[in-house]
Amino acid sequence: MSGAVLLLAVLVLPVGALVVRGGGDGLRQLVGDRELQSALALTAFTATTATLVAILLGTPLAYLLARDRMPAGSLVGALVELPLLIPHPVAGIALLLAFGRASPGGAALARIGLGIVGSPLGIGLAMLFVAAPLYVSAARESIARVDRRYEDVARTLGDSPWRAVRRVTLPMAGRGLFAAGIVMWARAVSEFGAIVILTYNPKVASVLSYDRFTAFGLDAALPVAAVLVLLAIIPLLVLRALRTSADILERVS
Amino acid sequence: MIAVETLASRAGSFALDDITFTLPQGAWGIVLGAAGSGKTTLLETIAGIRAATAGRVALRGVDVTAHAPEMRRVGMVYQHGYLFPHLSVDENIAYGTDGHSAREVARRFGADALTGRSVTSLSGGERQIVALARALAPSPDILLLDEPFAALDPRRRVRVRAELRRLQREQGMTVLHVTHDFVEAGTLGDLAMVLDGGRLTQVDTPEAIFRKPASASVADFIGAENVYSGIIRRDASNDDIAALTFAGEGLTLIGVGDHPGGAGHAVVRGEDVILARQHQDQTSARNAVEGRIVEVAPDGVLARVTVAVGTSTLVAIVTQESATTLGLAAGVSVVASIKATAVHLC
Repeated sequence: MSGAVLLLAVLVLPVGALVVRGGGDGLRQLVGDRELQSALALTAFTATTATLVAILLGTPLAYLLARDRMPAGSLVGALVELPLLIPHPVAGIALLLAFGRASPGGAALARIGLGIVGSPLGIGLAMLFVAAPLYVSAARESIARVDRRYEDVARTLGDSPWRAVRRVTLPMAGRGLFAAGIVMWARAVSEFGAIVILTYNPKVASVLSYDRFTAFGLDAALPVAAVLVLLAIIPLLVLRALRTSADILERVS
Repeated sequence: MIAVETLASRAGSFALDDITFTLPQGAWGIVLGAAGSGKTTLLETIAGIRAATAGRVALRGVDVTAHAPEMRRVGMVYQHGYLFPHLSVDENIAYGTDGHSAREVARRFGADALTGRSVTSLSGGERQIVALARALAPSPDILLLDEPFAALDPRRRVRVRAELRRLQREQGMTVLHVTHDFVEAGTLGDLAMVLDGGRLTQVDTPEAIFRKPASASVADFIGAENVYSGIIRRDASNDDIAALTFAGEGLTLIGVGDHPGGAGHAVVRGEDVILARQHQDQTSARNAVEGRIVEVAPDGVLARVTVAVGTSTLVAIVTQESATTLGLAAGVSVVASIKATAVHLC
């Protein structure tokens, strides 16, 4: 019991202290601090775009992995989860190598104005790289929980494979897919290490808090950091609400 | 028509192998077999849900082995219904069709009383009725049923079964129906087949399977009370059907059949054993064995009488009234008579 209290203290105290000391100032700065406003807007825009891309491209991948229809599925599954294990600055360096101007692909992208260094595109790419594995992993679990016999029944009722997935599997897994999207979005919003390697400017909120800390000290960084913590509470509340409504539905059924 | 030829399929480590039968258009086929014998795998392979690893499936005279499920136009009802939980009862029934035929089918099976309800609020029986209506709404001419009546209460089961039988006859539907219910098999089936370990062990009329199981495992599965192992000797007759003598487990029995002779089994249903307190002088029964009753177990209006005969036991099913009239009780000596035609040698 005392061990649990100790761990809880370690987890809660820093966040609590941050909110108590910087929360009020942070909320006040939200009104007048243009740099903070634009950093938050950029963070929300890039995280949302990365999440939508992950949903669009990751859901089919999650489906194939969940239904064991992907050739070398266990290898692909492991590769998808690999970015979760890489230190995030290393992830940034890897992205720079693969998509920076020095790489053939990156050079081609830069020629058409889609350079990843110092651009929102690079921020989105970094967010996608570090957070999409969370989406694919959670989406895979949600889809695997839908008994494939529902799809089979839909096929005997005339549905093509894609139509059966669209009409049956995705709606049935919808709550889990939404939760997976929220988790990914929250992770993308909190990303720092990979982004700072690719794009220091324009600044996302996490880079701004670091920038203010190194340039002006703790007091200047606190309000921005506290706003980021308050921002993280929103997805947490959404996930809690989803879980509660799922429990209620389960009890009813 | 459903024609299956040397069909093989896999479900995990389980294999369905060498399945061959033909169910004519408009016939009702029954699939019997213990749990895990491959009944559901067989239906799924016919529906195209599971790929055949060998052999062929022909529906309506057309080879559909390589066809996707949606191209086969087969209705399928699973034991658990698999109703789509995000859709209402009406939306489930109308899933594969336009609204009109869905409403008509729902009315016939009493599912119209459930319209507007969420499927999560339905009882097990109601779910099965909705699943049946959903499969029937597109008017399939082939219907595959995997224990669809298991969760229905007895009264509703009789009503739904009768309505489905009427619909099947009206539309000339071919039905392949997995069931554990022998009454259902006997009353509905034109043809029955027994699956054991992924292989068909007998295909015949339900009556023939119950009266004359082709193997000891079939006899055991359908609940024949007396199954003995031994040696069968065929008489010198050249006819296909010959007199046979079975000897094994301390019993010698006379039977008739087409067994070629050699090692085999004798199967006698309990209701084919006639018990008497003394030898009958004038009787057509070819077998009369003496024994002593070891147990009389009441079972409703019937009694299950176990008689020690030599080193074996013989079970007879008699009415309670007969048991009382004859004074059947443990320790009483009796003579058990069995007609040769009731001794099935396989």
